[in-house]
Amino acid sequence: MSGEVLLRATDVVKSFSSRGTKVGTRSVSVAVNGVSLEVKRGETLGIVGESGCGKSTLARCLVQLTPVTSGTVEFKGVTLTGLSRRRLRPHRREMQLVFQDPYASLNPRRTVGDIVADPMRIHKVAGENEIVKRVENLFVTVGLDPSYLRRYPHEFSGGQRQRIGIARALALNPSLVVADEPVSALDVSVQAQVLNLMADLQDELDLTYLFIAHDLGVVRHVSDRVGVMYLGEIVELGDAETLYERPLHPYTEALLSVVPELNDTDAPKRERILISGDVPDPSDRPTGCSFHPRCPIATERCTVEKPALVEIGPGRSVACHYPRNTA
Amino acid sequence: MPSDPTPLSDAVLRVSDLRVSFSTRQGIVQAVDGLSLDVGRKEVVGIVGESGSGKSVAMYSMLGLVRDANVTITGSVLFEGREILGLSDREMQPVRGGEIGMIFQDPMTALTPVYTVGWQIVEQLRAHTDMTKRQARTRAVELLAEVGIPDPKSRVDRYPHEFSGGMRQRVVIAMALSCNPRLLIADEPTTALDVTTQAQILDLMEKLQGTYGSSIVIITHDMGVIAEMADRVVVMYAGRPAEIGPELDVVRHPRHPYTWGLLGAVPRVDAKSRRLTTIPGTSISPLDVPVGCAFAPRCEHRMDVCSQRPLMRGDGSHQDACWLSDEQRVAIRTKATAQEASS
Amino acid sequence: MLAFSIRRLISAVLVLFSISVLVFLIFFATPGVDPAARIAGRSATPQIVAQVRHEFGLDRPLPVRYVLMMEHLFIKHDLTSYENPGEAVIPQVLLAAPVTLSLVLGAAVIWVVVGVMGGVIAAANRGRFIDPLIMFFGIAAVSVPAYWLGEVVNLITQSKLHSSVFSWVPASGYVSPVSNPFEWALHLLFPWLTLAALYAGIYARVLRAELVNALNEDYVRTARAKGLSERRILMRHALRCSLISIVSLFGLDFGALIGGAALLTEVVFGLPGVGYLTYVSLQSLDLPVIMACVMYGAFFVVLANAVVDILYAFLDPRVRLAK
Repeated sequence: MSGEVLLRATDVVKSFSSRGTKVGTRSVSVAVNGVSLEVKRGETLGIVGESGCGKSTLARCLVQLTPVTSGTVEFKGVTLTGLSRRRLRPHRREMQLVFQDPYASLNPRRTVGDIVADPMRIHKVAGENEIVKRVENLFVTVGLDPSYLRRYPHEFSGGQRQRIGIARALALNPSLVVADEPVSALDVSVQAQVLNLMADLQDELDLTYLFIAHDLGVVRHVSDRVGVMYLGEIVELGDAETLYERPLHPYTEALLSVVPELNDTDAPKRERILISGDVPDPSDRPTGCSFHPRCPIATERCTVEKPALVEIGPGRSVACHYPRNTA
Repeated sequence: MPSDPTPLSDAVLRVSDLRVSFSTRQGIVQAVDGLSLDVGRKEVVGIVGESGSGKSVAMYSMLGLVRDANVTITGSVLFEGREILGLSDREMQPVRGGEIGMIFQDPMTALTPVYTVGWQIVEQLRAHTDMTKRQARTRAVELLAEVGIPDPKSRVDRYPHEFSGGMRQRVVIAMALSCNPRLLIADEPTTALDVTTQAQILDLMEKLQGTYGSSIVIITHDMGVIAEMADRVVVMYAGRPAEIGPELDVVRHPRHPYTWGLLGAVPRVDAKSRRLTTIPGTSISPLDVPVGCAFAPRCEHRMDVCSQRPLMRGDGSHQDACWLSDEQRVAIRTKATAQEASS
Repeated sequence: MLAFSIRRLISAVLVLFSISVLVFLIFFATPGVDPAARIAGRSATPQIVAQVRHEFGLDRPLPVRYVLMMEHLFIKHDLTSYENPGEAVIPQVLLAAPVTLSLVLGAAVIWVVVGVMGGVIAAANRGRFIDPLIMFFGIAAVSVPAYWLGEVVNLITQSKLHSSVFSWVPASGYVSPVSNPFEWALHLLFPWLTLAALYAGIYARVLRAELVNALNEDYVRTARAKGLSERRILMRHALRCSLISIVSLFGLDFGALIGGAALLTEVVFGLPGVGYLTYVSLQSLDLPVIMACVMYGAFFVVLANAVVDILYAFLDPRVRLAK
């Protein structure tokens, strides 16, 4: 894994405004509140967070599916934000998306062969015969029988559909694959198959992954580095092993402590830190640190001063005034 | 934790050879194929399985909540010694909600949107007790407080959509416990919730179980939830029980190849797994269940004898449905652990 | 809620304005239609036609004529008919309104009761014989054109079986309820039933579909798990949620009918309501009357839409908060 930076996001902000409840007002909902991160070539960066934290919106902003409200996204050194659709097109081949819902992300009216071939046809990658050959190869690569080309999505199981989605994402030989909850809708055993497949493909094809999920176990399994999101911000970022063993941010610590875990060894379980309340509304953000209303160790300072994401160790950053487990 | 099967007098629920089948145009679908389990007093039994395992259908059919005209249910379900399978709707109504409470998966759609939460709790109370409206309302406020809803006196008059997912689930729990049921059945109660909310809800359920003394049957696909909550666990595959036993035993000394696969496939939070164990193939279609062991087509250790359906056997309370001998199992597991360590 | 209502009102006014312009253009700006020639009569010479044109202001530019007509209609209230010169239009409409109202109100009561009962019974007995039976009657009622049904009813009650079974049925026409309530109801009986048939069919079918959907919802499963009786679940949970869409539907239908959409029924049964007036004025191309009838009808449709929107918020608590 070289240290080359494939994707760099700087202060990405995405907000949505809608009509407010009072006449003449508009309510602004900030889904992504200033995210900066880098994805290095060949690595898997995992983004983990609960529902509403903005991770899916972030994924769409990075891949330029949704225009950002402010901030920049660079891919291989080229700034993508602000480019016209035409200029953006050639870059799209390099970044592809795998979606969460295997039942909704495949067009039910197209054969699966067409679904995988379409990206190649759109970008005029090769002649039709060559494209068909490539589709067959892709099917084999993801573990599907190439004779299934002419079938329709509804004839396949969830796990198989997800493989088709992966095949589609690989059709243009991207450097970066952004996977937005790719296994959440699958059974445990099928999930394992797809995760193994994705790991194999990464080795075979020299892929870089941005892996977004809410399942902490899945994220740990696939990621080299992990970023934890809360209410549209990255609150902690760092090497996966260290982050899971010694989390810095109180939110990460609490999250890890309450995941129900298999008790198959006598290893001491983490002390449970229960966070009270619910995630606040992104249109009504708390002052200062976004987490302070629910944080077990919040002080006066946390209500007024917003902590920035700072690097406090090699490859470890946290946005907190009182990081934990720093020893 | 009892090591002998629960004596009849102590069992809140005793299910014997429950079979549920649907006749469809494509053939007979055997959704549940011979489930037997006991739930003792104050016990938490977990039923774990993937989609198509029949875990939810089994519970729903016991309570008569399967409304399909093409369903056939056989077997015996004794609730507090009384046979409840085959009872008419009218006979079941006092049991449902009054003696057996149920919690469902999706809190966002579980409550009727046009009535306040208080109204819905009061409705249940008045259906099973002779409380007056005023008494029922007071009790509803008490229940909301018990499940941790802040400001229950005013929240009792709010509509379901004014609550978040976690809060709605608390309301559903309050409703299910309102008539002090002996048994609580929870079908994937936290699957639709975030990890932090899930923790709150599971915590709440444990606490309330202590207060009310009810037994719980919790249905889930998440082994972690089982580990947190269950005293005993039933692993289901293709409508059949694959393994039954005390939770700690099943998790630490699993006997059935499917359980091995299931446990190995879960990515861990507390340790990095090298590579996840996969069960080859995909789940079978319920129309195509093979004669003999249902898991055989996907089992790496399949033998000739597997063309006969294995019986549930084992020592004491830990049983499974597999023809492998104890020696064979030990050999397989040792080899697997060695492989895992070397990779 | 207030902001929402104000917005609805403003958009309602805009819609009415657009309708008035559209109708005006259709009738007054269509090439080949020369109101002056019609008014002057067939044997009129070109000079007389020109004279008539000038008298009625038909030689003024279009926008001016529009403004003038609107002024006569809404401000001065003295719009006069072309067909019967000098006869004021507005009083004609106002005279016709109670007839339409009587017809629609009576029919509405019948169709709501029959439709809801039909839908509930069909849903409660889904799969059993009575369910498809009710649905069959429903679709039969929907498929039969109102004028045909009306004429057949007339045929049976007024001529074929008039001397025997239906001798008590009065001749067609309208009797004011003020002068003789019994006769009023008797005259309206068959018109009520004819008009109600169509709508009862629709409502029964729609309600049944909504109820069957509702009965598969999660909250009904919860209600069952609570140990409630099937009847209570149907009436208190499923029906209450399904009624929301029925009520909206009713509001729109009622509004349209009050405005004169029961035209065919009124004509067939000889009831001098707004629909009948519209029909007559269309036949003679009496444009001011047409304009007045259309605006009258449009007003009620627009009003009904607005009321239904507001009512929806009242019935479905989820919608309230979004305001």
